[in-house]
Amino acid sequence: MPELTTRIGDLTMRSPVMLASGTVGYGPEYEGVIDFGATGAIVTKTITVEPREGNAPPRLVETPGGLLNAIGLENVGLERFLAEKLPEAAPLPVPIVASVAGTGAGQFAQLAAAVGERDEVAAIELNISCPNVERPRNPVWSDPVAVGEIVSAAREATGKTLSLKLSPNTSDILSVAEAAERAGADALTVANTLPGMRIDIERRRPALGNVTGGLSGRALMPVNLALVWKVAEHVSIPVIGSGGIGDTGDALEFLAAGAVAVQVGTALFATPEAPSEIADGLRNYMEENGFASIDELVGMAREERRTCAETA
Amino acid sequence: MSPTSYLFTFEAGPEFPTPRPGQFVNVAVADDLTLRRPFSFAGIPAPGRFDLLVEMRGKGTRALAEKPIGSAVGVLGPLGNEFTLPGADSVSLLVGGGIGVAGLRLLAQELRRGYHRIHALVGARTSPGLLHHVLPSPTGDGEVLIEVATDDGSEGFHGTVAGLLERVLNELDAPARVYCCGPPAMIAATADITAKRGVPCEALLEEMMACGVGACRGCVVATRSGYKSVCSDGPVFDTNELVLEELVRA
Ligand SMILES: Cc1cc2nc3c(=O)[nH]c(=O)nc-3n(C[C@H](O)[C@H](O)[C@H](O)COP(=O)(O)OP(=O)(O)OC[C@H]3O[C@@H](n4cnc5c(N)ncnc54)[C@H](O)[C@@H]3O)c2cc1C
Ligand SMILES: Cc1cc2nc3c(=O)[nH]c(=O)nc-3n(C[C@H](O)[C@H](O)[C@H](O)COP(=O)(O)O)c2cc1C
Ligand code: FES
Repeated sequence: MPELTTRIGDLTMRSPVMLASGTVGYGPEYEGVIDFGATGAIVTKTITVEPREGNAPPRLVETPGGLLNAIGLENVGLERFLAEKLPEAAPLPVPIVASVAGTGAGQFAQLAAAVGERDEVAAIELNISCPNVERPRNPVWSDPVAVGEIVSAAREATGKTLSLKLSPNTSDILSVAEAAERAGADALTVANTLPGMRIDIERRRPALGNVTGGLSGRALMPVNLALVWKVAEHVSIPVIGSGGIGDTGDALEFLAAGAVAVQVGTALFATPEAPSEIADGLRNYMEENGFASIDELVGMAREERRTCAETA
Repeated sequence: MSPTSYLFTFEAGPEFPTPRPGQFVNVAVADDLTLRRPFSFAGIPAPGRFDLLVEMRGKGTRALAEKPIGSAVGVLGPLGNEFTLPGADSVSLLVGGGIGVAGLRLLAQELRRGYHRIHALVGARTSPGLLHHVLPSPTGDGEVLIEVATDDGSEGFHGTVAGLLERVLNELDAPARVYCCGPPAMIAATADITAKRGVPCEALLEEMMACGVGACRGCVVATRSGYKSVCSDGPVFDTNELVLEELVRA
C-alpha cells in the first residue's frame, strides 16, 4: 500500500490534503459532511486579536470557473477562539492548524504565542495575504522586510510549526518567500486569492458590498501552480499548494510542481467529498505508477527530479 | 407552475431527515458551477421524498430544468432553522411575493394538516407570475383562505402584497402570526406593518451562499446583534431582529 503520510515541520498528516483557511470555519460546522478522518489537517478561519464583524454583504459572487469573496476576515477574535472554538474543534479526528493575522509583527507574536501554547493546535499559518482588509498601498505581502519582521516575531513567540501564507498578488514573490525562510518559517503556503470584482449591471453597482474581493476556485489554479513551481525551486522549506484544487489531477499537478501538501478550499462548496476523493485518487495513482510515498511525487515534473527518474 | 417555474420531486431515500418548514437544501445543479444552489423545501409528497419549486433565473436553475427525469443530483440538507409554528388560536398569515411562495408551501401544508387557520396573501408583478395555486386549496369553512395581489392590478388586489396585508390586518378579528418570503423590499414593508401592530412576524431570507453550513460567513444579513449567517442562523429570522435599511440596500 502506498503511504500518504506527509510531514511539515512537526505536523504529521495522514494525507497531504488539507482544508484551506476560511472555507471550513473552525471545523465543527462541517461535521458529518466532510470526512475529517481522511483529511490531513484543517486550517481554521483566520483569527485576529479582536473579533471582526467582516464586510457588508453581498460577500460572494460566482464567476466563470471561480468565486469572488469579500468576507473581510469575520472571526470571533482570539479570546473566544481559545475559549470556545478550539475546544469545540479538538474532538474532530484531524489536526488543527490555526490561521492568524495581525496588524503588525507585535500582534503576530501575540497571536502565535497564544495559539501556539495550546495542545489542540498542531501548527500555525500566518496569513499576511488577505486581500480584503489590506492597506491600499505597499501591502505587507509584497514587502520582504515587513514579512521578515512578522515571521521573526512569530518565530520567537512559539516553537510550533509555522507556515507563512503568501499572496499571488505581487511581482516579486521570491523575495518575500526568501525573507520568510530566513526569518525561520517552517513552510510556505502558496498562495491566497487574487483581487477581482464584478459589476451588477441591473443595479449599476459593484456586485460585492466591499467592491472588490478575492478570486478563488478553478480559475486561480494555473496562477498559483506557477507560483508553487517558482517558489519551490527557490526555497528549501516545504511548500503547501493552494488555489483551485478540486480533484486528484489538480493535486497531482501541485505535488509534481514541488508542493508537499495541498489545500482544498472553494471546491468544498460544491463537493465536500473532495478531500477524501483526492486522497483515494492519489493512492490509486501511486499504486498504478509504482510510487511508495508522497515524497516521491513531490517535484516529479521538475527537471532535476525527471533526470533522477530516468537515470534510476 | 407558472411560465417560469417548475416543481421538481426528489427521491432522497429513507435516510434523508424529514425537512421542517423553512429549511432548505443545497443542490449541485451543474458540474461546471463553483457553487451549489439553495432551494427551500416546498413539500414532502411521501416519506423520503421532497419537492422543490424553482423559478428559472440563470445558468444553475436552467441546468436543473434540463436534467432528464430520473437524474442523480447531489444534495446537502436539510439545512438551516425553521419557522415557529403558531399558537392554536391564531390565524397564520402567509405572505409570499413571486417565487417566495415556494418557501411557504411546506409550512402551509403542515399548518393545513394541523387544522390551523391559514390566510395566504400571494403577490406578483402581473397575473401570470402568481403562484397561489401551489398552496393548499381554499376551504369553504374559511380555514384556508387565499387572496392575491398584482402590482399592475391584472388580478386581485391592485398593489403590493404588503398593501394587501395591511388591509387584512385591519379587518382581522383574531390574533395573527405573519410568515413572509419574497423580495427584500416586500419583506421590509411586511416587517414595518407587523411591527407597528405588534404582530409577530418571521421572514425567510435569501442571500448568496457557498458552504450552506455556517463555515464561510459568505451569506450574512445585518441584524440588531450584528451580522448573522442566513444559512445557519437562518434562513428564518424574526423581522424585529433585522436591520431593514441594510436588508433593502444589500
Ligand atoms: C435559503 C434560500 C432558499 C431559496 N429558495 C428558493 C426556492 O424555493 N425556489 C427558487 O426558485 N429559488 C430559491 N432561492 C433562490 C435560488 O437559490 C436562486 O434563484 C438560484 O440560486 C439561482 O441560480 P442560477 O444559477 O439560476 O442563477 P445565477 O444566474 O447564477 O444568479 C442569479 C441570482 O441568483 C442568486 N444566486 C445565484 N447563486 C446563488 C447561491 N449559490 N446562493 C444563493 N443565491 C444564489 C443570486 O441572487 C444571483 O444574483 C432560495 C435562496 C435561498 C438563499
Ligand atoms: C470564502 C473564503 C474565505 C476565505 N478566508 C480566508 C481566510 O480567512 N484566511 C486565509 O488565509 N485564506 C482565506 N481564504 C483563501 C483560501 O484559504 C484559499 O487560499 C484560496 O481560496 C485559494 O484556494 P481555493 O481556490 O482552493 O479556494 C478564503 C477563501 C474563501 C473562498
Ligand atoms: S453559506 Fe457559508 S456561512 Fe452561509
